[in-house]
Amino acid sequence: MKKILVLDDDADILILMRMTLQMHDFAVEAISRWQDIDDSISKFNPDLIILDVSLNGADGRDICKKIKLSEKTGHIPVILFSANAEMGNNIKEVKAEAFIAKPYQLSNLLQTIRTHLN
Amino acid sequence: MQMFTSVIVLGIFFVIFIINDINSYKKRKVNSVIGLAKVISTNSASTINFQDNESARNILSEVLSIAPDIGHAVIFDTSGKVFAAYEKRGADNLIIPADLNKKKSLYTDKKLFVSNDIIYNNEPLGKVVLEVELSELNEIKDFENKLAVTLLLVGLGFSFLLAIIIQTYISKRLLRLVDVMKEVSETGNYDRSIADEGKDEISTLTRVFNNLMQQVSENQRRKDEFIGIASHELKTPLTSIKGYLELMKQIEDREPNKHFTQKASESVGKLEKLINDLLDVSKIQSGQLELNKQEFDIDGLLNETIYSFQMISNSHQIVLGNGSIHANVMADKQRIEQVLFNLFSNAVKYSPGEKKVIVASTKTDGELVIKIRDFGIGVLKEEQLNIFERFYRSKDTSVHISGFGLGLYICMDIIKRHGGKIWVETEKKGSSFYFSLPLIN
Repeated sequence: MKKILVLDDDADILILMRMTLQMHDFAVEAISRWQDIDDSISKFNPDLIILDVSLNGADGRDICKKIKLSEKTGHIPVILFSANAEMGNNIKEVKAEAFIAKPYQLSNLLQTIRTHLN
Repeated sequence: MQMFTSVIVLGIFFVIFIINDINSYKKRKVNSVIGLAKVISTNSASTINFQDNESARNILSEVLSIAPDIGHAVIFDTSGKVFAAYEKRGADNLIIPADLNKKKSLYTDKKLFVSNDIIYNNEPLGKVVLEVELSELNEIKDFENKLAVTLLLVGLGFSFLLAIIIQTYISKRLLRLVDVMKEVSETGNYDRSIADEGKDEISTLTRVFNNLMQQVSENQRRKDEFIGIASHELKTPLTSIKGYLELMKQIEDREPNKHFTQKASESVGKLEKLINDLLDVSKIQSGQLELNKQEFDIDGLLNETIYSFQMISNSHQIVLGNGSIHANVMADKQRIEQVLFNLFSNAVKYSPGEKKVIVASTKTDGELVIKIRDFGIGVLKEEQLNIFERFYRSKDTSVHISGFGLGLYICMDIIKRHGGKIWVETEKKGSSFYFSLPLIN
């Protein structure tokens, strides 16, 4: 079973994502504090990370860049996730693999996840 | 215009000055000639008494030798007969105007006539009539006219020069202000100010403009901030609603639950579109709608967009009327897809009860033109331009169509930003929407 780490500071979205992804046969670790991301990555060892951009006190793009530039975590695909669709325009700058706009289309979300897991 | 007025005023002043000068010259002339006539009257009184024509003539020629502009001088006796006469060499024939009997002096076109009675011991003996040639006056008139014209021309040239200098100084600053205003109204970028340290009215205008810009810019920033927050806050719960509804659709097979879920889903879709449209309009107005251009092939985009549109709306068949045209454009793929989506949903929305929408693409003169043809209620001729305005809704109330009136406004802005055009043509039944994009050579 593939493992997905979700970081979003909205509790409702976090519960929804966990439920959705579990229903589609993924193992999910859902966290709301961006400060915990390094810990979670090393403990959970995810195959893919879904990262909210507008976090309380941090920018998901900076976190993404850090993950991608690190030798240990650089190989993990990151999907950025935001209500601001324009954030999707320059995801290459922060080395993210993909972008999903909120509200998302379920089929689109699943397809994007599967594309980057393989 | 102002220069023209000042030249006219200057001209009027010259005319008044010349008339005044000529009048005073005429008065002076009359006085001096009357003086002369009086001298002649006094001197010649005795010659009339003694009937000495010879002496009278001598007096005339003596006195008149110091006044070379006198053409004729005649002494009449009381019976009106010529007693003595003097005529300058080459002078015209003397014709005394009849009016001279009543007046002491008289100006005709070219001459001045002066008459003075000869009185000795309170007894009238006759009169002296002098005829003066006005060549000197004409010379003065000539000279003054020439002077006036010259001064007027010099003044005109000078004021022209001055106007150019002032204009370049003032206009330069005003034009700069106008340029910035134009730029602001075109780009919507209100973070502009103009440096002007002066103390005149233009500097005041510039300062007021700068303050205005600051205020607008601040308001704009607050509005953007508000829309940003609002849309984020709206989209977060919407994400939740939509997400749960999608899960529900996957697991619920029973009716009417399935139907209800579908209906709720459709409404969420409309709400999402509305929020996105409002956000886009706000971005357009603040000049923040940015294009993420890339090169792509239009055939692919058309097929993909038609396919995904039919996934969510299958009441009409969207038919691609032609084969591949192999046209590459440099454009924001998502935005062009948005335009197509908007035009498709309008075509469907405004042709209830119909079954078909036809899409066609052609290449002409370095341009790609896409046509979306529906067979619906059509667009009224007088509304063909208005429908691209923000919040514009058709005045045709025969059908009620929901919506905010933002779709076409957004489409127009996106297409314009790509250097293309968007327009509508009314068909016999329904209408055709067109948009063009520049092709890559």
